[in-house]
Amino acid sequence: MLQIIVQGLLLSGLYALIAMGFTLIFSVGRVLNLAYGAYLLIGGYIYFTVSQTLGVPKVLGLLLAAMVGCLVGLLKYRLLVKPLKGNHVAVEISTLILAVVVQAGVVFIYGDSSKILLPIVPGVTQVAGASVTYNLLAATIGSWAILFALYWFVRKTHVGRAMQAVSMDTKGAAISGVDPDRINMFTWGLSGMLGATAGVFFASYTQLSPSMWVAPLIIAVAVVIVGGIGSIIGTLIVAHIIGFMEVLAVAVIAPELRGVFTMLLIIGVLVIRPQGLFGREEL
Amino acid sequence: MGLRWYHFALWAAFIAIMVAIPEFVSKGTLRIIIFANFLAIFAISWDVLSGRTGYISFGHPFLIGIGAYTSAILTKRFDVPIEWAIPAAVVMTMIGGIIVFLPALRIKGSYFALVTLAFMELTYQLVQVIRPDLTGGTRGMSGVQTLTRGALNGYYLSASLMVTIALSMWLLMRTQLGTALSAIGMNEESVRGSGLSTTKLKLFAFLTSAFVAGLGGAFYVHYLGSIAPRALFDINFLFTIIVAALIGGASTIIGPVIGAFFLTFLLEYLRPYLPGAERYFIYGLIALLLYMYEPKGIIELLRKGWHRLFSRHSVETPS
Amino acid sequence: MSFKKTTLLAAMAVAAITQSAVADIKVGYIGSLSSDTGLSTLRGAEIAIEELNASGGVLGQKIELVKADTSEDPTEGVKAYEYLAETEEVDFIISGSIDDVSLGWLPRMQEFQIPTLDTWTSYIGIIDMIVEDYETMKPYFMNIASDEALATLYIDFGKDVLAEKMGWSSVVILQEDTAFGGAIAGLVTDALAPNAGIEVKESIVYDITTNDFAPLFSRAQDSGADFIYLISSVNSQVVSSQYVKLQVPMGMTGVNVAALGQEFWEDTGGAAGGISTLSPIPSVGFKLDPVSQAFVDTYQAKYDTRPIMPHFNGFNAYHGVKQAMAAAEEAGEFNNTSWVTAMEKQDLTLKLDGETWLRYAFWGNDEIEPRTGRTYPHNARFDITEPYDEASPSMVVIQWYEDGSSAVVYPEKYKTGEFTVPSWVKAKK
Repeated sequence: MLQIIVQGLLLSGLYALIAMGFTLIFSVGRVLNLAYGAYLLIGGYIYFTVSQTLGVPKVLGLLLAAMVGCLVGLLKYRLLVKPLKGNHVAVEISTLILAVVVQAGVVFIYGDSSKILLPIVPGVTQVAGASVTYNLLAATIGSWAILFALYWFVRKTHVGRAMQAVSMDTKGAAISGVDPDRINMFTWGLSGMLGATAGVFFASYTQLSPSMWVAPLIIAVAVVIVGGIGSIIGTLIVAHIIGFMEVLAVAVIAPELRGVFTMLLIIGVLVIRPQGLFGREEL
Repeated sequence: MGLRWYHFALWAAFIAIMVAIPEFVSKGTLRIIIFANFLAIFAISWDVLSGRTGYISFGHPFLIGIGAYTSAILTKRFDVPIEWAIPAAVVMTMIGGIIVFLPALRIKGSYFALVTLAFMELTYQLVQVIRPDLTGGTRGMSGVQTLTRGALNGYYLSASLMVTIALSMWLLMRTQLGTALSAIGMNEESVRGSGLSTTKLKLFAFLTSAFVAGLGGAFYVHYLGSIAPRALFDINFLFTIIVAALIGGASTIIGPVIGAFFLTFLLEYLRPYLPGAERYFIYGLIALLLYMYEPKGIIELLRKGWHRLFSRHSVETPS
Repeated sequence: MSFKKTTLLAAMAVAAITQSAVADIKVGYIGSLSSDTGLSTLRGAEIAIEELNASGGVLGQKIELVKADTSEDPTEGVKAYEYLAETEEVDFIISGSIDDVSLGWLPRMQEFQIPTLDTWTSYIGIIDMIVEDYETMKPYFMNIASDEALATLYIDFGKDVLAEKMGWSSVVILQEDTAFGGAIAGLVTDALAPNAGIEVKESIVYDITTNDFAPLFSRAQDSGADFIYLISSVNSQVVSSQYVKLQVPMGMTGVNVAALGQEFWEDTGGAAGGISTLSPIPSVGFKLDPVSQAFVDTYQAKYDTRPIMPHFNGFNAYHGVKQAMAAAEEAGEFNNTSWVTAMEKQDLTLKLDGETWLRYAFWGNDEIEPRTGRTYPHNARFDITEPYDEASPSMVVIQWYEDGSSAVVYPEKYKTGEFTVPSWVKAKK
């Protein structure tokens, strides 16, 4: 029992981190960024190249991955999302194409086979019969820290409040002197940064492979759908629901049904309560 | 329906070209066209539903997969004659269409797209878990009965299927029904306001789309002779279908056909020069740039080109 | 120059070009161009063809190699096969395809009847297809021992090493949810238990998209078994590296396909110590006979990108292409009758210090393997009884050590190191 709680907490922390960047774009920009998984892909591979292959210190590798993620996010907004002027279908389709292009690029450079990242923080300990790696523990603590920082940032800072305003009512925000374009730009960059960071942790926990963008995208989608649009706290709660559900499915029911429950949850919530469990909240 | 003389002329020319093609090209090229024909059928199926109504389906492989798996399982595991298996597969796919339709009663837009994506992922996982003795699990099935042998026969079969579907869907979409479906895509409330049952209209679109997907999926598996879940319930397969429809020109029926041919030939003609992974990179990049440049598709580019050639005045006023 | 003369010359030139184009023997490669698996087969074939061309080619003609990428997608595999058959019109196809890709293009092989040799997939279901329908399947050969034979020999390892040497008496099976996983798990449950006296405590089946194995390992620990039997062919480095990262306190062996390659250590960033797996031969850590060693030397002089060491299928492709060409010399052409007969008779025994070390030959069509009691037409000849003097064993067990080295630990004859568990696992005895 205790073992399930420990594992559930750790996994959920990682899921929250993965979903965060996706939620931000969905609430501020109101578009589904299907290339979100590509940030994780890029982040993971940058870290792999810089830190594992070239031997640059891990913290620098992580920072660099985050910066590249940020840059990709900014470029994506400028070159792709902005020219399509809020045409949702067009943004969804073009980001989907982009994700496939990035995947092909990774296969071209690194080949098809999966790679394993070394733990960012090495070491392992046993808690209540469950093996706990310091790496995942660091990811979870990091994830909580990032989430609280983000919460504080959105509530307390000028830019954060502007983001809230744009997420609630773009036109209204524009009238009251906020430049939605700059806020969007900022959010895309931030989302890319979060995505790439999550990618490094996700990859160091699981694996690096050219198709690794699909699974986190689905987790992010599940969290956003089940939680409803754009609440940081909602994201945190739902990440825990999904994380615990998966751990429970594996431990108690049947491991091969792990993914099935997440899918059923998505379909169920969308059909029964389309606005999500926590409805439409402010950011 | 507003049919004009040039509609007849264009369709006649299209059919004539499809009939004449085997005289001029090699067997290898015919094989490529067969895949283009099937992709065209899938893209038309997507277009009937998503191109018009605005309900973007990310789960089309789900529908195609039901058709393909039903027919493959019936013929291979239960020795059902192929002429019964295919209609049964179409019926099953239409039932699948109703399943996809249910969420559409309540949600639309991006949410609808996501729920269909979840359907696809769910089927992928379930096919491997439930009755692998029937579905073949991860390895899929090989040695599924084929309808024809040889490039020429396969070409005629797939081409006649594709042309028949394209023509009938094109005619169907030119009726008031098609107009009503387009209206749903623009403003569902106003359609409801004008006294039409949007539920019935949507159900019609879903069933038609599923019918085409099931038919295409069943013929596809009996052409391939094998089926594998990894190639079918796959985001890359989904990507090819949607991009074919959009690059060609959504909600035009003929656009998806153009898109399917364009994409298939692009990928095949890159093969001798870029045999490896870079092929998909270039292919995706061209698709992305083309889509960004003209979201209305190749058909719109052709139309503009036509106008530029024949009526110089209309170009000068920006559209 | 008159008009007539020009046309005549042009016609002659065209004729000459077409003739020379047709005259070459074309070998088609089908497989992934970006995976270690695919590249091993491709490069094995490239080296064989270079050597054959240097000694005059085959049937008096030069051999040309054309490639078709499958990117490990079954539908792309069908397209690739059609491309080789109808656009390139190849005479022979060498394949480095994985299971479902081979199954995808097999109906095309039956249609075109092009001599085809598979070097990677070991799926027994394909051999069954040859048994059931020899006439349409006969141009197909598979020169790796089928998976059933692999598992059968593995039972002996369980008895000799796991039960007797390690003193393990109960196992928990950790199995991926694939047809392959199901088949091997069935064999282990039905044969390992009674033959080696090892009790199966629990079977845990997981989905191949699983990323997080911590809850699964907890469950395995809770079962109270002595060791974990892992069956993983898809992305197996994920599960095994997590075993190492989590320092799961019980021994683990089984089938771990990723551990077959020399890059396993590098790819897992060293999270590979203590991992063991069964492997087709020649594997990493396998002592090589002079002929195979010469192949590896040529390989390493020629290629400096991964895989730095060819996987088993690279050897299969190298010897297989040469045998296919030799069969063509004997038959006078490539076809589905005389070439097939000649290919069935190919037999190459490689010796090391006077002992039979590796053998590239095929089972006779009606020949019954005594232990499994069935036929293996067109499958690589293997030997699953000591002292392995008939043919190569169907598999060896390889062990990765915590210092990054690797060795063969079973069978005795091929052994270069000892079976071991990771340092954090307490041995039972």
